Amino acid sequence: MSEIPPEVFEQRLAGIRRIMAAKNVPAAVVYSELWRSNPARFFSNYMPYFNRALLIIPADLPVTLLCGLSPRVYGWIRSVTTIEDVRPAANFAQPLLDLAAESGWARIGILDFPQFPFDLNRAIKAVNLEIVNIADVPLCDDNELAMRRKAVAMAREVLEAELNAGVGRTDYEVVGRLERLFRRAGVEDLITLLTNGSSAPAPATGARLEPNYSVSLALEYRGHWVRISRPHDFACAPEWLIQDDPSAYVENLGRSYPYECVSRSSLRSGSIFAVHVSRPAGAKQIFYGDTCWYGASGPEIL
Amino acid sequence: MINTQRREQFLDLMAKSGWDVLMLYGHGWRKDFFRSLVNFNFFGSHAAVAFSRSGELSILVSHPWDQEVIARSVDAKVQCVPDFESGLRGLASEFKNAKTAIAGMELMEARFVDPQALSATAAVEALRRIKTAEEIEILRQASLLADIGYQHFIDTIEVGMAEYELVAEVEGFLKERGAEDNFMLIGSGGTEVFGMRPPTNRRFQIGDNVTTELSPQVNGYYAQICRTLVLGEPSEDQRKSFSIFREAQQAAEDFLKPGVNIRDVARVQNDVFRREGYGEYTGSKYTRVRGHNLGLYPDENPYVLEDVDCPVVRGMVLIAHPNTYLPLSGYMVFGDTLAVTDNGCVRLGRTEKKLFSKEV
Repeated sequence: MSEIPPEVFEQRLAGIRRIMAAKNVPAAVVYSELWRSNPARFFSNYMPYFNRALLIIPADLPVTLLCGLSPRVYGWIRSVTTIEDVRPAANFAQPLLDLAAESGWARIGILDFPQFPFDLNRAIKAVNLEIVNIADVPLCDDNELAMRRKAVAMAREVLEAELNAGVGRTDYEVVGRLERLFRRAGVEDLITLLTNGSSAPAPATGARLEPNYSVSLALEYRGHWVRISRPHDFACAPEWLIQDDPSAYVENLGRSYPYECVSRSSLRSGSIFAVHVSRPAGAKQIFYGDTCWYGASGPEIL
Repeated sequence: MINTQRREQFLDLMAKSGWDVLMLYGHGWRKDFFRSLVNFNFFGSHAAVAFSRSGELSILVSHPWDQEVIARSVDAKVQCVPDFESGLRGLASEFKNAKTAIAGMELMEARFVDPQALSATAAVEALRRIKTAEEIEILRQASLLADIGYQHFIDTIEVGMAEYELVAEVEGFLKERGAEDNFMLIGSGGTEVFGMRPPTNRRFQIGDNVTTELSPQVNGYYAQICRTLVLGEPSEDQRKSFSIFREAQQAAEDFLKPGVNIRDVARVQNDVFRREGYGEYTGSKYTRVRGHNLGLYPDENPYVLEDVDCPVVRGMVLIAHPNTYLPLSGYMVFGDTLAVTDNGCVRLGRTEKKLFSKEV
């Protein structure tokens, strides 16, 4: 079960329900899949390992999950989420229409509808429902920040302790070692990129790691993605990430994807994001990055 | 990085279909269409490659690190645009008035899709279904990795260990040996278990059925193995149950050859369960599919089901797995990666076909 107490999910649902009331919609629909799980996870702790789902948030009833996964795993879904009502949905449009008919909804809100997969967007447009797009729903609160802080603290601690041992090993060995350590610490997914400094970080190729190599991680802990990049044996300054460095890479971690490259100017108060910079180290480049938050007093490292 | 054999097939497809441009799109979950031509494990959220009938490639990615690595390896225009929607518009403007077809169009964000574009998904899937000799060799390597990964699973599991701890060991083992990814599900327990899912903190107990589906990915391609292990001496019911799965899988393996239909590959498996009085456990209430194609995605079409009409041809690589729930012993799994040859099929892996058990 989630480390986040059930009342937090209730508060989050109350927040989206206020938006729904302002838009005069009796229900909101949230899309979820393996690679776009942030919004449904934020509202219900649902994190699919496969397939698609729609989380339906009625104004005055508990949520329903229309789920592409087999009913055989609905017990597992109930055990790890706040959702009780899980229904099978091979074709999502018809079950959504059925649910709307059952509930008397002629109009529904859909979070980020233009970003839905094309086939699903087209199928839902074809049913007899008035659709109101709901954009830019905030997916951040104190609990969200606390979980991301926990995840990124774990990422820093494990990676920084491992960097020295990586020199002379192959990148495959380092990736395997990190997998073991992080998954034993409860991480669900880990993407590891590495470089010896002659190119950008990339997936392992069997290369032997040299001094000043860099590792960049995307890590999912309890559904909360964080990003860090660290070089071996190179003094880095956190200020590099806060400064408005035009060569920095900025990734938004707070929307539906785990991370998406964006411009720094697109960030606003409440944004959870990552910044990565490179610096010369002799003839090579090192990469340094971390997960940040845009707080009331500006950007800060989580 | 470029699959040259596939590129020639795509060019033929374009000519036959009257398409001026073919685009292959991928995102973080479904990289397969993009990788069927540009076999790079991109990191960003999106990637697309467009190519014209003259064979000219234009690649669009959403993360600058992907751009840098691809540009070093591929003779093509490689652009990085964080705003992928505007990037796609820019790409389209390079091919003005062209008839464009997109493989993976259904997966794209709706706002990305040009209303004039056609879907190339089914046609490209049909080509990808038949693997090249090089692809089959990569799948063989992935199958051998699945074999040693499963041996490590057996060596590592012990009573009292949590599911997620075992998965951590197996994931680490596979990635140390070059796996790009591993799609892995697990289940443990007895007759109360109806399927597999991601690992939990449940701790293994004496007498558990421990089921797993291991799918290591090598150079983009996933092979798969499904096996069941009993912690301790298997019960009579566990042995009896497994014998049904073993016979059903063997029936599929014996039957699979060019010219048969995929629906009958499902039927011969289900017939074994029906004969034993367990026909109801072959339906969607208790199981998903009786196998599926494998390749750049671990769950490719066609699904092995009795209502799927798809002729089997040489070069297809699929798993036959009659995985389901039986009241005898709960959910069990058993399956191997099979490559269709001229007159039958061969197993790409070598793991023994038996109900595994481990002394406790």
